[in-house]
Parts: sequence; C-alpha cells; structure tokens
Amino acid sequence: MERVRQRDGAAFELLYDDYHRLVYGIALRILGDVPAAEDVTQAVFLKLWSSPQSFAKGNFAAWIARVTRNRALDVVRSRSVRLQSDVPDTMPADDALEDHAFAMLDAEFVRSALARLPEDQRKPIELGFFGALTHEEIARRTGIPLGTIKTRIRTGLRKLRAQLDGVVTA
Amino acid sequence: MNNHDEFLDSIAVYALGSLPKSEAAAARAHLRTCAQCRAEYDALRPAVDALALSAEACIDGRSGPVPSPLLRARVLRTVRQESRTPTIAPSRLRPSWPAMVVAAAAILLAVWTTAANLMLRSDLTQTHDQLAQLQAQNTNLNRRLAAQKIMIAEVMDTNAKRFPVNGGEVVKRNDHVYIAMDGMPMPPKGHVYQAWTEHTGAQKMSPSITFMPDRSGVALVSLPVNASAIAAVAVSVEPEGGSKAPTTKPEFVVKLT
Ligand SMILES: [Zn+2]
Repeated sequence: MERVRQRDGAAFELLYDDYHRLVYGIALRILGDVPAAEDVTQAVFLKLWSSPQSFAKGNFAAWIARVTRNRALDVVRSRSVRLQSDVPDTMPADDALEDHAFAMLDAEFVRSALARLPEDQRKPIELGFFGALTHEEIARRTGIPLGTIKTRIRTGLRKLRAQLDGVVTA
Repeated sequence: MNNHDEFLDSIAVYALGSLPKSEAAAARAHLRTCAQCRAEYDALRPAVDALALSAEACIDGRSGPVPSPLLRARVLRTVRQESRTPTIAPSRLRPSWPAMVVAAAAILLAVWTTAANLMLRSDLTQTHDQLAQLQAQNTNLNRRLAAQKIMIAEVMDTNAKRFPVNGGEVVKRNDHVYIAMDGMPMPPKGHVYQAWTEHTGAQKMSPSITFMPDRSGVALVSLPVNASAIAAVAVSVEPEGGSKAPTTKPEFVVKLT
C-alpha cells in the first residue's frame, strides 16, 4: 500500500492481483450481473489509485471489502425504484477493523463457517449483506416477523464471531 | 430510537449494514454514547467483515465466478495512462526505506499465512498422523519466521548502511551484508540469481549464494561473508546451480564504501 501511495504502478498491479477476486466476487454477488460487477471492480481500484490515502489503517482486505460493498449498494440504490429510506445504509469503511482476526481467514473457511449456521439464521444474514435488503424487507420477503429476523441475525452473527475466535486462538 | 433497550435489539442489524438510512443515523448516534452497545457492535463487526470473504471469486472457478482478464487489462491501462501525467514524481528509481518495509512485511506475511492455512486445514479435516506432520512443518515455519525476523530487524535498522541498486538495495549492518529486493522479475526458466562478492584488494568477483525472488518480486538474503572484508557486491542471472564466474551482464554491481 505504501508503494501505491507513492504511485508505484508495479505495486498497484500486485495489489490488483491479490484483491480483485474479492472485490469482483462481492460486487457480483450483490449486483448479480457481470458488466455491473466489472464496473464496480474498476471503480474501486481506480479510486484506490487516485486516493490511496482513503485507506488509513487496519486490515486491507476488510477495508476494500467494505468499500466494494458500499459502492455496489450505491449502484443498487441508483437502480432502485424503492423509496430512498427503504435501502440499507452503507457501512462506515474505517471503524473497528480487526487486523489479527481477519488476516488468518480465507474464503474457504468463511464459507464453511457460514454453512454451519442453521438455514434460518444464515438466510437473513446473507439477504442483508449481499441481497441489499433492509431488515424490514427481509421480514416481508421471508414472511417472518421483524422481531424474529432481528434475533436470528444477532444469534447468527454471534455464532460466526465465535467461530472466528476459534481460528484466532487456535 | 433514543433508548437503549430499543436499540440493543437492532445492533446486529446495524452491524450487518441492513438498517434503512433513516434508522441508521439514530443508531450511529446512540453508539457514540453507549458503551454497552458499542461493545456488542465491536464484537459483531468482524463477523460481518468476514462475510465478504465468502464471496471471493475462485482462481479456477470451482466455487465462484472468474473475473475476466480483460478487466485486469482495462484497469491497469487506465492507471498507466493516469500515471503518465507530469505532476507525478517517478518514485521507482529510488528504492526507499518504506519500500523495504513492504518487502519485509510481504515475506513475514507469506510465511505466516502458510502456517495459518496449514493449521486451519489440520483443524478441519486431517487425521492424527497428518496433524503430527503438519505440526512438524509448522515448527519449521516458525523457525524460518524467527530467522526472517532477525534478518528483517537488521535490514530495517536505522544504523545500517544502505546502497540503492536497481529494484532494491544492498544493506550492510555490523558484520552482515544483505540483499533486499522488492521489484525483482523472475529469472528465465532454468535460471537463478547469483550473488557475487569482491574481497577488499582482490581483482575479481567470488561466487556467492544463489537465490530466487518470490511471486511478488521480493527477495531478502543474507550473504555468507564478513562485511568488513567485502568491497563490492554484484548479482547476475546464472543457470540453476550457479556459476564459477559470471556468465551474464550483472543486474547490478555496487561498491560498499
Ligand atoms: Zn445502548
């Protein structure tokens, strides 16, 4: 990252090679179509190149993942005919980045951790994160009461967190 | 949503980023004033960050879509065009201290993530026999990691003397000489890089160790010589196994004075 800040093209290339699959994967999952996912991927990396100072500290993968999700949600929002207030809020890209926990993870591990959650907890979490749905829309779509959805999201995230701790202390 | 009891219920939804904009602002305000909710938020946030990883596209497309190489070309072309604007100072000519920090960090990370992956896999699926084997490998990796850490500490030392070369630097500290590269292309197939040392007063270069950069062009090697006896260091591309005298034009020759 330091070299990207110094506008080193070769360093940028390495960064692209290391993280484009993550960026593209998130964008595609949220947007559901290849051209839009490619556009978001390009926008995220060009933004990184033109203002590398926007990444201040913490884990780079976690940071770029948040930036990507926010960007993809912007696209969803611009497409959406729904009321503005009915679209999930973007996440702050700079708080509570936990370095150690994240550096030890890989996609395979998170996928299997997710697979271990009960379906009724996993589903609302995935709908919220990748489906660009608010908790109210999740409730509406699944026909489950809002209060139950909130509880399931909370329980599921706590279980995921516990599994991450298992990795970190292993 | 001003009151704690009401908000506590929505904190996980907020951490997931699934509150509508209207409610999220209130949630943010409450988080600033309530330590208990902040603690819960901080605990759940890494789990949300980790979710993103599950979407990572696979290299071989087995468990996900593969990004097009054309996209890579498009992004890199745009960046190259932009970097040709005259306001940007060329920084690659002058390998700097921060560049070496990056190189060092990359090496540590590479060793460490391999160790971490091995442990992870052992945790999930392996049998006892394999576990023992992995633990032995892990001990090896940790030993390597410790050795690398010492090297890196020396290379980073502010008292070290640095001699910039194309793609990195030669570092002299106390009795040791290190070659620290962070932009080294892979040598052609069947070839390696070989270091050469010129002893003070000698007329020719003596062969030293051979080495390879890693995938990202990073190499950090300690030369088996006493720094005080060495007048110059060079590196050239040689056939695997090394040569007795340089067979190609050196990548660099640097005097250590
Ligand atoms: Zn509270």
